[in-house]
Amino acid sequence: MTEPLYAVRDIRKSYGSVVALNGVDFSVGAGEVVGLVGDNGAGKSTLVRILSGVNPPDSGEIILEGKPRHWRSPHDALEAGVETLYQDAGIAPDLTVAANVFLGREVLRKGLLGRLGFLDEKAMRDKARQELTRVGITVPSAGRPVSKLSGGQRQAVAIGRAVAWANKVILLDEPTNHLGAQQSIEVLNVIRQAKANGLGVVFISHTLPHVLEVTDRVTVLRLGEVVADRPTSDFSPDTLLKAITGLA
Amino acid sequence: MTKNTAPAASPRGGGLRDFLLRQDVVLLGIFAVMVVVFASINPRFLSLPAAANILQDFSPVVLMAIGQTFVIVSRGIDLSVGSTLGLSGVVMALAVRALNQAGVDPALTIVVGVLCAMATGAVVGLVNAFLINVANITPFIATLATLGAAAGVSLVLTRGVQVAGGPTAVIYVGNLRYLGVLTVPVIAVLVIMAIAWAFFGLTRFGRWTYAIGSNPFAARGAGIDVKRHLTKIYLLSGILSGLAGAFVYFRLGSGSPLSGRGGELSAVAACVIGGIGLFGGTGKISGTFIGALITTSVLSGLILIGVEPNWQQIVVAGLIAGAVGIQGLSSAARRGT
Ligand SMILES: Nc1ncnc2c1ncn2[C@@H]1O[C@H](COP(=O)(O)OP(=O)(O)OP(=O)(O)O)[C@@H](O)[C@H]1O
Ligand SMILES: [Mg+2]
Repeated sequence: MTEPLYAVRDIRKSYGSVVALNGVDFSVGAGEVVGLVGDNGAGKSTLVRILSGVNPPDSGEIILEGKPRHWRSPHDALEAGVETLYQDAGIAPDLTVAANVFLGREVLRKGLLGRLGFLDEKAMRDKARQELTRVGITVPSAGRPVSKLSGGQRQAVAIGRAVAWANKVILLDEPTNHLGAQQSIEVLNVIRQAKANGLGVVFISHTLPHVLEVTDRVTVLRLGEVVADRPTSDFSPDTLLKAITGLA
Repeated sequence: MTKNTAPAASPRGGGLRDFLLRQDVVLLGIFAVMVVVFASINPRFLSLPAAANILQDFSPVVLMAIGQTFVIVSRGIDLSVGSTLGLSGVVMALAVRALNQAGVDPALTIVVGVLCAMATGAVVGLVNAFLINVANITPFIATLATLGAAAGVSLVLTRGVQVAGGPTAVIYVGNLRYLGVLTVPVIAVLVIMAIAWAFFGLTRFGRWTYAIGSNPFAARGAGIDVKRHLTKIYLLSGILSGLAGAFVYFRLGSGSPLSGRGGELSAVAACVIGGIGLFGGTGKISGTFIGALITTSVLSGLILIGVEPNWQQIVVAGLIAGAVGIQGLSSAARRGT
């Protein structure tokens, strides 16, 4: 097997007495979609937060493109090309769609005003609209506060944001949450598009048919440990469910 | 809080009805009604000296309220602004007196004094930032502690008495009125308000402030160094309160350990009346300006129509309660509950 794009080795993470991750190995290759599945509380989001730099692991290695990394904050991981859609609260509801898409990467005006930190709102609005359309997401207006969008539209903005900026790895923690059937299908298309562009995609979902449909490989977590890591073609809906629940 | 989202979030266009419902327009309307009521009871309310007095009262309040706006929008609170004002005035008074006694040039003395006041405010702001970011104390408790500490240091430094002994130029700077209303500090405050308005609504600094208040987790996830940004905000609040202390010193010609008492109430009142959402992420600084104008002119107006000064704090408290009540009602209406 070729060297994976992004990998972690022997990751441990506890919250007080709760062992959320107990020696987890995980990886994703360039142009590969890896499904990360497991029951509620299995440790999926905990792993995402370690991969995205939100929390450091208690121990274990993080390796991007063969080099060991230590993320001090999400900023470091973003700089390195690892983009994340968080399961909960990835978006600032009081800001506009465009402001959210560009949060942390604001476009500044040219010249002196720009050096003083003045924003180029129009450029951001136009580009946000472009990017969201490119990934097949339609929101009413890039100038609207996110708090005035529906749950699904908010989720769409968060996905659009992540996809627009990712250049190596994209971590999607339950991206189809709050989404209707049609929009879920669009998200799956977005994932295929990202894969075609050579990104490594990590897809977390409880909707197993989606996982089986779009992933190349599936990693199953149970109580903080990896209990299966195999090509998707090895699983049937039934065997995948059994791997997740541990019930024979 | 439908009408007080971030500037970039405000709907574009929307006609007369939307315009009339804008928070700042509503506030200006309330202010106009107030002026009419006070003026009809005592016409002196509309005189230049009365206006000049209101502007002089307004200056330190709006400075503290500007800092407070950044703080509250970032989902914090800074209760230390009033005592910071007092301490900064005291430090400035002591520095100015010492330099004056040493025979230093009055202009230089004054400049150094102002810098001392701002530096004092900066120190309190950094202590707040340290307590909040490093010691992980909530802003409410952290700044309550510095409120007490700064007030205590003022008393220790002065042994409880006023510090005068500056050059006479001080009083001129603070009280000479150009065009009948504008003193040097008032002019400086108007300039600072313009800068704050642009900085808050149009720059990345303002955007990040809204983002952190709206969802600190999302802000951090977007790569923003939240703690660093909050440090800058509390530092700014401290420096502005320090400057407010300098301006009060200019007006009175002395530094009192008691000035600034209750300043946190005025600053928070200006924000809340101006529609700054107490849960962070919403509100416009223009609202704060009008809020500060309303609170300070209510106080002047009450005195002019013969209400006892002891009622002042009660009235301000009533205004806060009213404004918070309205905020609650409008956000409940928005949620449809
Ligand atoms: N911030 C936290 N503090 C304490 N415990 C936590 C924290 N975050 C997660 N945990 C615990 O760690 C374990 C793993 O949680 P995690 O959120 O990673 O699960 P998950 O697989 O993402 O579940 P879900 O499918 O419900 O999203 C759980 O037992 C959870 O209670
Ligand atoms: Mg989760």
